[in-house]
Amino acid sequence: MPFNQKPQKFNAKINTVTIGSGDKTVALGGNSTFPFYSFDAPTENTAKVGVEITDMGLEGVSEGIKAYYEGATTMADIAKKAAAMEGADFVALVLEGGDPNGENKSVDELIAIVKEVADAVDCPLVVEGCKNVEKDAELLPKVAEVLQGRNVLILAEKEENYKAIGAAAGLAYNQIVGAESAVDINLAKQLNVVTTQLGVNAQKIVMNIGSACAGYGYEYVVSTMDRIKGAALGQNDNMLQMPIITPVASETWGVKEASASEADMPEWGPQDERGIDMEIMTAAADLAAGSDAVILRHPQSVATISKMIKALA
Amino acid sequence: MFKVTFAFEDGSVVETYANAGDNLLEIAREANVAIDAPCSGNASCGKCRVQLKSGELNSKKTLHIEDEEYNSGWRLACVSTVCADVTVLVPDIASAYKSRMKVADLSSKEEIAIFEKAKRDIEFTGIVLNNSLDVVEVSMDPPSLDDTMPDNERLTRALRKFLNIKRVRIPYAVLKKLPDVLRDNNYQVKCILRTTPNDMFVYDIYGMEEHVKVCGLAVDIGTTTISAVIINMESGEILAKGSAGNGQIRYGADVINRIIEQQKPGGKKKLQDAVIKETINPMIREMCKSAGISKHQIYRMCVASNTTMNHLFAGINADPLRMEPYIPAFFKTNSLFASDVGIDINQDAHIIVAPNIGSYVGGDITAGTLVSMIWNRPEFSLFIDLGTNGELVFGNSDFMMSCACSAGPAFEGGDISCGMRATDGAIEACTIDKDTMEPTYRIVGAPGTKPIGLCGSGIIDVISELFITGIINPKGKFVREGRRVRHDQYGMGSYVLAFEEEAGSVKDVEITEVDIDNFIRAKGAIFSAIRTMLSSLDFDVSMIDDVYVAGGIGSGINMKNAVNIGMFPDIPLDKFHYIGNSSLTGAYLMLLSTKAEQKTYELASNMTYMELSTVPTYMDEFVGACFIPHTDTTLFPGVMEQMQQ
Repeated sequence: MPFNQKPQKFNAKINTVTIGSGDKTVALGGNSTFPFYSFDAPTENTAKVGVEITDMGLEGVSEGIKAYYEGATTMADIAKKAAAMEGADFVALVLEGGDPNGENKSVDELIAIVKEVADAVDCPLVVEGCKNVEKDAELLPKVAEVLQGRNVLILAEKEENYKAIGAAAGLAYNQIVGAESAVDINLAKQLNVVTTQLGVNAQKIVMNIGSACAGYGYEYVVSTMDRIKGAALGQNDNMLQMPIITPVASETWGVKEASASEADMPEWGPQDERGIDMEIMTAAADLAAGSDAVILRHPQSVATISKMIKALA
Repeated sequence: MFKVTFAFEDGSVVETYANAGDNLLEIAREANVAIDAPCSGNASCGKCRVQLKSGELNSKKTLHIEDEEYNSGWRLACVSTVCADVTVLVPDIASAYKSRMKVADLSSKEEIAIFEKAKRDIEFTGIVLNNSLDVVEVSMDPPSLDDTMPDNERLTRALRKFLNIKRVRIPYAVLKKLPDVLRDNNYQVKCILRTTPNDMFVYDIYGMEEHVKVCGLAVDIGTTTISAVIINMESGEILAKGSAGNGQIRYGADVINRIIEQQKPGGKKKLQDAVIKETINPMIREMCKSAGISKHQIYRMCVASNTTMNHLFAGINADPLRMEPYIPAFFKTNSLFASDVGIDINQDAHIIVAPNIGSYVGGDITAGTLVSMIWNRPEFSLFIDLGTNGELVFGNSDFMMSCACSAGPAFEGGDISCGMRATDGAIEACTIDKDTMEPTYRIVGAPGTKPIGLCGSGIIDVISELFITGIINPKGKFVREGRRVRHDQYGMGSYVLAFEEEAGSVKDVEITEVDIDNFIRAKGAIFSAIRTMLSSLDFDVSMIDDVYVAGGIGSGINMKNAVNIGMFPDIPLDKFHYIGNSSLTGAYLMLLSTKAEQKTYELASNMTYMELSTVPTYMDEFVGACFIPHTDTTLFPGVMEQMQQ
């Protein structure tokens, strides 16, 4: 019997959310199939890859990454090199120095860096906070304010601070709101509901449903993404039809497999290789499970993942 | 030794003495001063607040007391130790839980009607309402020098002849009065007997002329409240009804804390005394007085309670209940007698215990199931008992399934900053004006009673109204501002129902985001249990024909509001029926009718118990339900329609 293909058609699609301004924009989401199921329906937008840089410059990054950014002395230089990376669709600036339990940089100090980076590059921008809910509630509305007109994605509001961040980014300054929850389909939906009830347009929300490094309880991530896509497409649940962005680098470069130096763990081989492996494995799995964009750090990971996306598109 | 004085809002005081370093909560317990401590002194619930009036206390600061409050003398009794003579004020809210014992005069027709209806329902199924207790008249030949049979043999022989039963047992209590009763009445006596096909037990003996009443006692032992009736065992008439707070409350609000407490040396005795000597026995005395009977005339007792409570009642180690694999000492037992546990009724009285199904589904549920009649109908019914544990039974005449979920004490006012049981001063119903955000409420107690807290049905109303008026969002966070909405220094919102000057206590009556969050979790547990159980049977909520709601949440429960907040499924309101304290009604039926008792054992053994913690989707369902009304709004079309208006 000949193979007779039956396409799996959905009467629903993921929202298309565009970030960036001018001629340099990227569109996230927009598809009506499961990830890479281009045989079911044409792919509207392929998944996107962002390059992560932080306000801490090149402090603590692996040798391979340092090598790529060699010669870059200012945040502006770093941002330009990141934007020029092969396969990069956007740049993601993480303001991790704002963490009160870390460097505790002031909001003004961080805003200066945000401006420097934004002025240096014209590619689409994602700005991530420091993960501390109180600090982010203060910092991210300011970020949204100074980047007016750039249509940036602000990562992220959480249940605890959605009012401050959601209102500033989504209502006052017309940016894209990132909504972050903790690997649970219901919590993700609940945050979208309360955010839209605040008045934020559902078409201006991108979800970060939470992530993990492959091998670190990662099955939950796959299952959650999979069910979110299933509900968004299969049940036409418009409170789950936001595209998903997954910051991969911050998860994978923190685990011991990626962070242990070769001197400490000679039998594990070079640190850069391990870090790249973790980053690529996790990002590939995220994309296959339902992420519409991933954020990576190493140039080789960025190149590999973007090649994979093109090959499967 | 230092002098410790507990002063109350009504001006009365209790004085006692203590050593330096003694814990204030312990001192209060010993002096019989009621201070609510649901967490049993772990400094985690923040309810045992007292105000330092004079003297000093060594007292740690906790999260529960704000700086300003600390400066004005508020302390948690459980973290305070004595270091000098001291006077503390015990606010009404701290002792409000200790509901005064109440013996109903039964003038209320509704009270009687519940029992009458239960009786009719059960008779309708063909179960006869009689039991093995009988009064028989016996006449014997007086002894003579030719007939020298001793008194007990004489009675035995007469009874044997009369009833044709071989074995007759005469206990010490009867033997003791036998010579006098026989001789005073010329060997014409009445005997109170329990007869089974091969055995006869003589409970009591009276003269022929005496007016004899055969009474029974049905008791529902709730984790929070105990209620009881004394009945005429022949007619089923209710002679007295009473209720009181469970004296074990001071050892913790929930069963787990009490199980831990009974594990301590002497703990089993302490907890058994708290429920029997301090609570049930005084109730029996009061009820006997009101019914005009002697306690010795109570010849049988039936207890319906959750598994932990019947273990603690019997003084049996309950620790295995909370440890895997959660095995109780008994499901059913017929080896319990009044003298074993010190219940102050006829010492030979048999105590029937409504059968348990598992560690967390106990006799209160099997007794309630009997009353709900779901086992006798082809329609699909859902029986929900809202207590500290929420228990559900779903089924019809062909099958029944049960499960239990941990709702926590929120339905009875626990875990809620201004929560209280449904006693005087509790707000039991509330509406909030959409525009002015001003509340209107109904309070338990005599007209003019000022509000001091919120009981379960009041909390349901307040949360539903706050949600419908858009004051809180579906997560229970405050999104509107106004005179009655305020935020503390950490940004936590609250809604003030009664400012200090309007309230009957020294504090504002308010509901905070933390309270709402606790309640959302309690209602989420109930709703997700309903969904999980139904979906395990491939049913959905539209297939439920009737919902029977039981429990101490109060007859004031507003079903519409309970649906609004997503506690019950969004099905037509006329399908919901509040059946009151079904555990007590069930105990009453089991007491009155041996057949009903057997039926309950049969129901218990036919019920399938579902352990929710082993169902992988339960957690998902639970998180989805922890939202008002639900993360999946398609489950609540009626509520959403209402929201749009």
